[in-house]
Amino acid sequence: MLRSIFKSGINSISTHLLTSNNAVTQQVRTTFILRRKYPLELHKKNQKPRKLRGKHFNYVLVEDTNRTVKPDIEVVLKQFIHGVGKKGEIVKVRPNFAYNELLLTDKAAYATPENIEKYKLKEGEESQEEKYSSPYAQRTVNMLQNRVFAIVMNKEQPWVIEPWHVRASLRKCGYHILSDDAIELPQEKITGPDLQKQNKEFIVTVTINKMEKAKVRCRIHHWSTNPSDRLPYVYEHWLQDTEPLFPSEQKSNESSS
Amino acid sequence: MASSVKQGFATLKKVHVNKRFSVGLGAQVPEAYRKFWAEWMERQPAAVHYIPNEGRFKRNQKTGEVVPIQNVHIPLKRVVEENFGIWGGEAVIQGFKKPEMKHRKPCFWVPTLKRSAVRSEVLNEFFSVTLTDRTITLIHEHHGFDHYLLKSPACDLRSVLALKIKRKILIDLLNGCPAWDHNKTRQDEVKKEFSQYLEQYTPEEIEWYGLTYAEALAKTQKMIKEANPIVPHKQIFREKLIEQLKQAGLEEVTGEKAADEESSWLKKLNPFSKKKEF
Repeated sequence: MLRSIFKSGINSISTHLLTSNNAVTQQVRTTFILRRKYPLELHKKNQKPRKLRGKHFNYVLVEDTNRTVKPDIEVVLKQFIHGVGKKGEIVKVRPNFAYNELLLTDKAAYATPENIEKYKLKEGEESQEEKYSSPYAQRTVNMLQNRVFAIVMNKEQPWVIEPWHVRASLRKCGYHILSDDAIELPQEKITGPDLQKQNKEFIVTVTINKMEKAKVRCRIHHWSTNPSDRLPYVYEHWLQDTEPLFPSEQKSNESSS
Repeated sequence: MASSVKQGFATLKKVHVNKRFSVGLGAQVPEAYRKFWAEWMERQPAAVHYIPNEGRFKRNQKTGEVVPIQNVHIPLKRVVEENFGIWGGEAVIQGFKKPEMKHRKPCFWVPTLKRSAVRSEVLNEFFSVTLTDRTITLIHEHHGFDHYLLKSPACDLRSVLALKIKRKILIDLLNGCPAWDHNKTRQDEVKKEFSQYLEQYTPEEIEWYGLTYAEALAKTQKMIKEANPIVPHKQIFREKLIEQLKQAGLEEVTGEKAADEESSWLKKLNPFSKKKEF
């Protein structure tokens, strides 16, 4: 009876231990470079070292190699990769990224002289990167399209939305557009102030490197310099669904997506 | 009693003689395996867990005394788990931590393990194995997993799993990369890239490479059995008899039969016949 209880108790504890994922109880294990605290006495020439005694097993940690930053490695790309480079390009990347994303998936090879020669882009070869202005363009397009930008306009003074309004709003979020020519507004003019248009969405097309086009979602927000006149704050308003400013535009977007 | 008492040279000193390859079946293991065993177990591995001092001598700056530099390695423990992963020469160290003015505390230094994949070009296969960061660094340094295995001696690989994969790669290279039979151009490239490593080994050495001691003994036993098959005596004697009869010819056989009939009065006696009851 007691034995069975004891046994079941052990089992329950062991299962609990196996399933628990507590960071505090987890053992931290690292790779160590050690040295002896008490060095060995010299042994005779061409003879075996002296017998190790207990004190020779006292070690001092010299370095923990898991903590040191490993240098970047060079790889040759076998194909065009977004955000990394073109085919045949020699790129320096972090070792773990290179191993997990590029080398194991056979998208790149180590930058040995033979590999560099082998994967060099040959003349007249139809390359995929001609469709893209740069390896990083698609990344920028994705970043612009995955967000909602607030176009902050005045609540009292009349206005018409112009490209520089969009440029200023994007700059507030950390996206610097160098020229207004890259910003393409909707065909119809957007005028205000008009509280009917508050938090309504419209699409602005941003051209990157005169090639890639990003459809940026913008929402109008009315702002007053007088704090008492301001609209109440809406928590995480960018996550909420809104109506489009131009219903026809939304339909075309839905059909394209 | 007499067997438990030490005799001869052993009475003078404690002498440890390794009888692995000198007694019994171990004595019949071929030289090719002993070479591998020396590379695996007897050769000193590269310094992973300590920094060896360079040079032959050093001078004490205060006293001017010159002393030789002697690097004595830190003993590594062999654990069962390391045979199921590729730890890149790292191992468990048992020792003590000794803070100043305090008692020493026992401690085990264990490498950080993680599960990841490795890719073998020769075998055209992925393996999911437990690795350390050092393994991946070494793979990068050697420009590939196959190069790392083939360039490193067995003492630095340590684990049975790594040696098994190395053995399979060597056997595949010897047979001309059958894993790439579907793609002849790639097969030629792989052969060209890795054939340099075959020069270090003879085919017999590859046959015995990467085996554990127990496997080597089993292989030896099998070879001995195949060389000297056990045939029942019945078969041997029957063949002998048939040969003798063929040599003697029919005439003698008949002659024997006639002679038998003449002196066959004994045969008439049947010891197992029923006795008449008186």
